[in-house]
Amino acid sequence: MARRDDNAAYSIVGYLLSGLLFWGGVGWALDKWLGTSFLLLAGLLLGAGAALYLVWLRFGRE
Amino acid sequence: MRSLVVFRAEGEGFVPPSSKDFELPPIFGDNEFTTKPIFLILFSVILLSVFFLMASRKASVVPSKLQFAGESVYAYVRNDLGKEIIGHEFMRFVPYLFTLFTFILVNNIFGIVPLIQFPTMSRISFAYVLGIITFGVFHYVGIRHHGIFKYMKDILFMPGVPKPVYILLTPIEIATYLVVRPLTISLRLFANMFAGHLLLMIFILGGEHLLQGAVGLKLVSPFAFAFGIALTFFELLVQCLQAYIFTLLTALYIGGALADEH
Repeated sequence: MARRDDNAAYSIVGYLLSGLLFWGGVGWALDKWLGTSFLLLAGLLLGAGAALYLVWLRFGRE
Repeated sequence: MRSLVVFRAEGEGFVPPSSKDFELPPIFGDNEFTTKPIFLILFSVILLSVFFLMASRKASVVPSKLQFAGESVYAYVRNDLGKEIIGHEFMRFVPYLFTLFTFILVNNIFGIVPLIQFPTMSRISFAYVLGIITFGVFHYVGIRHHGIFKYMKDILFMPGVPKPVYILLTPIEIATYLVVRPLTISLRLFANMFAGHLLLMIFILGGEHLLQGAVGLKLVSPFAFAFGIALTFFELLVQCLQAYIFTLLTALYIGGALADEH
């Protein structure tokens, strides 16, 4: 079990990456659609935040 | 006139290795399925089969050197990657993990074996196929273990979160499990092999090029070769490490799919 926690690093990187990719992607698409330019940044920040929250939920709660 | 020729000869310049050097031509005629990587894959399968058949044939209590070598690799994968990470149901997955580890290891090490010198996994399709197989295995295992609805519910909805937050978190979970995991596991293997091979080519081809240059350049050339040799040993480390990491991640994903908590 201890080993699995050590290896959580790989899952954490995966979460952070998908958070940035998904919400960053949503922000980018909205930027394209609405002609704005701040939504990509907002999406990236939102994604990073949500991913960190998810990581905390999954690995930091015990 | 003569100086012009010399100048032109020197001015040809060094053509640095690029991704084109990975696109090897077919060996037999125009058949795209007869390129070097394909033969290397087949060769690795034959090599592994012969080695482990020899190692396990006439297995005895006091092992021969060959049997010992075969069994140490097996014991390593079974105990350190299977048992430690997957938990009590690990034996079912040891054959897959073992095959994966040895297969990737041999194909990676091809990158520094003299005369072969091409890491098969530096062609991305091979890495993708392995990633897709692992992807299929761990989802299948999870669905079989929990049933499809509970498995999906476990992935999509973290317990203990207010409902509106799921709008934020569920897409991330979906992206992680369906896209990022198979993609990163493949890309990590591919990129390491690709970059390693490129690095070796730069130093060794560069050393060769310097050797054909002026006297001053000839003197520098041994350093480039020495670096190439040092990097070859470094590559060996990376190749073993990447085979290990790919198998480790597969075991982690399987373990995660089987886990009852979360």
